[in-house]
Amino acid sequence: MIVISDVINTLAIFWLSALIFYILVHRGLWIFSDVARTMGMFMLEKALGPGIELVEGRTGSAARAWILQSVIWMMIGALFTFEGMWLAHEPTALHSLSAWGYDPTAETLAATGKAVTAFGGISMALIGCGLHILPKLLGTGLASERNATLVSFLYSGGIFVYLVGSHDPVIFGIKVLVIGTGIHVLAMTAIVINQLLTVSNRSGSIPMPAWLILLGLMAESFNLIASISTGGINEGDGQWLMYRLQGSGFFFLSLAGVVLYASSVGSGNPLWSKTLVGATLLGGLFTLNPFGANHGTLVADLFGLDAGELAMSTNDTVIVTFLMALASIPIIAFVANAMLTIRDSSSSSTAGMSEINLGLMAMIPVFIGSLFVQTDAVSGTDAISGLSWTIEEMSRWAVLVPLSLGSVLALYPSITGRELASAERSRTAFWLMGSAVLLGLMLSLTSSAIDMALLDAGVEDPSSLSHELSVAASVIFYFAVVAMILHCLNMVSGLFRGEIVGEETEVSSSIEADTYNLASATSVSRILASGAGMDTMVVPVGESDEKGSATDL
Amino acid sequence: MLWASGVSMTNDDGFLQGENEPAASKVIIVGALVSSLIFMIVYSILYPGQDYPVISDFETFGSLTGGIWFFILGAVFGIFSIIATMITEATRE
Repeated sequence: MIVISDVINTLAIFWLSALIFYILVHRGLWIFSDVARTMGMFMLEKALGPGIELVEGRTGSAARAWILQSVIWMMIGALFTFEGMWLAHEPTALHSLSAWGYDPTAETLAATGKAVTAFGGISMALIGCGLHILPKLLGTGLASERNATLVSFLYSGGIFVYLVGSHDPVIFGIKVLVIGTGIHVLAMTAIVINQLLTVSNRSGSIPMPAWLILLGLMAESFNLIASISTGGINEGDGQWLMYRLQGSGFFFLSLAGVVLYASSVGSGNPLWSKTLVGATLLGGLFTLNPFGANHGTLVADLFGLDAGELAMSTNDTVIVTFLMALASIPIIAFVANAMLTIRDSSSSSTAGMSEINLGLMAMIPVFIGSLFVQTDAVSGTDAISGLSWTIEEMSRWAVLVPLSLGSVLALYPSITGRELASAERSRTAFWLMGSAVLLGLMLSLTSSAIDMALLDAGVEDPSSLSHELSVAASVIFYFAVVAMILHCLNMVSGLFRGEIVGEETEVSSSIEADTYNLASATSVSRILASGAGMDTMVVPVGESDEKGSATDL
Repeated sequence: MLWASGVSMTNDDGFLQGENEPAASKVIIVGALVSSLIFMIVYSILYPGQDYPVISDFETFGSLTGGIWFFILGAVFGIFSIIATMITEATRE
């Protein structure tokens, strides 16, 4: 008798769901298409009653709300990650806050940073860019701008619940993270319906990057269906697999779609290869992405379940290891395609391109590191599990954040209709972030490696070098916090003061480059105060004191 | 009334205000920050082990012993800058 494990069952249902979805998008819902469309629009707008009137429905308002909130969450995520790194070497650093009833540990702060950055910062950036890109690629408008804008605040509310729940998972006997997950699923359902309705209104065929974004959004639903129907969500192996499918599905596919689009828009070059986009799409769906944690505890926490132990059979271990190694194909295809699209950019100074470059360069080395860590975990060897935390942070801060943030910055002018407030500030923030995520996390990796080596050797005394390196790592990582603050300021100011896209800078002045048109009597101090210099030529403009009369027609 | 490049002017008393901030004005802000830091350093040299007046009376601030607080202070400053920017830009004429 052949026994098929839950791992294979879950993967099979996930892939089958994706296939059914692909067919349904092409074939429609037969006679139910119109009913579903009308029902969907009703749910998105009319069913919400007066609540929907709280937000505006101008084109681009939804994407703008999502990307702005994403950068704020990235900043908060960076701050919590920094604090977690600091408390790892000085556990009592925030002890004075216990006077206010807040007594965090390195673990709770790191978990908060992880949840806020991944679900708040990165996810909101990807969803926000998707809300802009998908309608553009499909030649239509977003089905409901107002609903998507309103849902951004609901989603942010869910992230705030995650923030609280990561500190204190049970309050008054209620599992806080489960509430956050409920809000997250509700908001994602609204976004999925909105994007599906947008797809149904398309004016032509669906381009490849649009498929990436669409399947990325849907992957979360496929993952839920597959893991719950097989019962894998209750076991350690299933929880680990669910984490991986979320990484391969939502995060990787959405990220690839958004970054490829932003690379083309930002560089002014056409997308290099359509075939490589196809390889990215199929590879993303049919392989397992090794980025992230080497256990499924997060999944168990989010659904209020007991975290199971990772104990795979030999067959399952071979299958998942093979699928994780195969993930190198879509990752290399994606990195090569994006890099070659950016090459010879005619507008290399476009904000966001540097961040995208940073993320692309870091992606393959971090993939290799993650693959080692994951293989080590699923095989039960646990020889390099000491490096897992830093590798996980690297996948988040050196790959996912730069790529999603870079896309946000590159698409900012198209989404908001204005340029960023300051290109110089954007460059400063890039260098700060680059040094924080590369140098800071490399030092953290070195420190972890020293600790791990000492542990293996049975040395009980902690290494002073390791301690000093972890201190330096946390201080350098602080640059990421400063970088995110600068990006936030730049984006917020740009909304109000950024140069309007597509318009020449209009100067409402009578002063040209070096002349001043004098229309009426004025003082020299006023002329100087208006920007004129000593070499400015004052040109009197002719006026007539003659009485006016009616114009002859 | 916007009268000329980057200068707003009222009609009544002829009050003038430049819209563009000179780069050198940042020196004053940086100078103020450096001065307050110098004050704190000098205070701790002159009165080693002594709490800061007034602010140390608050229990939380009285036990700010770790270096992390300088970093958190910087982040709080940044967060308030963002909030201030939102408010001032939204209410700006």
